[in-house]
Amino acid sequence: MKIDNSLPLEYSTEENRLKVLGFWIFLGAEIMLFATLFATYFTLFDRTAGGPTGAEIFEITPVLIETILLLTSSFTIGLGIHAMRLGNKKAMLSFFAITLLLGAGFLGFEIFEFVTYVHEGAGLQTSAFTSILLTTLGTHGAHVTLGLFWGLFIILQVKKRGLTPETANKSFIFSLYWHFLDVVWIFIFSFIYLKGMM
Amino acid sequence: MKELFPPKQVMGFVLSLTLTVVALSVYFLNMSFAVGMTVLLVTAFVQAGLQLVVFMHAGESEDKAAIYTNVYYGLALALITVFGTLLAMVWDM
Repeated sequence: MKIDNSLPLEYSTEENRLKVLGFWIFLGAEIMLFATLFATYFTLFDRTAGGPTGAEIFEITPVLIETILLLTSSFTIGLGIHAMRLGNKKAMLSFFAITLLLGAGFLGFEIFEFVTYVHEGAGLQTSAFTSILLTTLGTHGAHVTLGLFWGLFIILQVKKRGLTPETANKSFIFSLYWHFLDVVWIFIFSFIYLKGMM
Repeated sequence: MKELFPPKQVMGFVLSLTLTVVALSVYFLNMSFAVGMTVLLVTAFVQAGLQLVVFMHAGESEDKAAIYTNVYYGLALALITVFGTLLAMVWDM
């Protein structure tokens, strides 16, 4: 199969190209959403009201596992899009499935972490610090959860309809969303966890 | 099988893992707050740029200029929001 790299399937109509642009604009708004959460976190992180501080509740091992899971999933979905551009539907779906499994693993560790926090007395209402911490982590976690369902439906649709300009476009846009979640996690990893444990 | 693993993306993945290891040095090595924050700022933004260019194919369509303008605009507003808040609420300036 000859691949025309100048015009992948997902860009093959003007509508598709504009949908990709539109999704980038949505991601611009998402950057702002997380910027406000980070701004609030940096303002409130030392207001612990007698409750635990970040240094007391953060643990490097689960955080590191979550980071590696999400980084790897960002890589595998990139490979999925590459396979899609080669017209290899089977490889693409395998990479998408691996991505979602890694995402589910990430979410499992995050839920485990939240349960641990609450057991250690760091609930949503404990202090200004725990509120903004759990809100920021939770907003990212909710995005990952949404992504798991979205990705599952994309897989089902590609399975059913095959690779058409429409399904390829949807898959590509989903990959943008997933990479974006990884970018947000990098900032959470660096400026919430590592900074807090430094 | 080999065609499924383009060198550019494999290199991107290796680089992103390397950046994570470098960022981890602030936890495992003893360094001052200023040095640690510098390491984190550099690794986080390089990492983000890597995702954008290598994995998100930000520059490949004819909307390249619009996409980059949008990203830079989002980034500028994010930095203004975060540092503006720090200036007003934390650094007492």
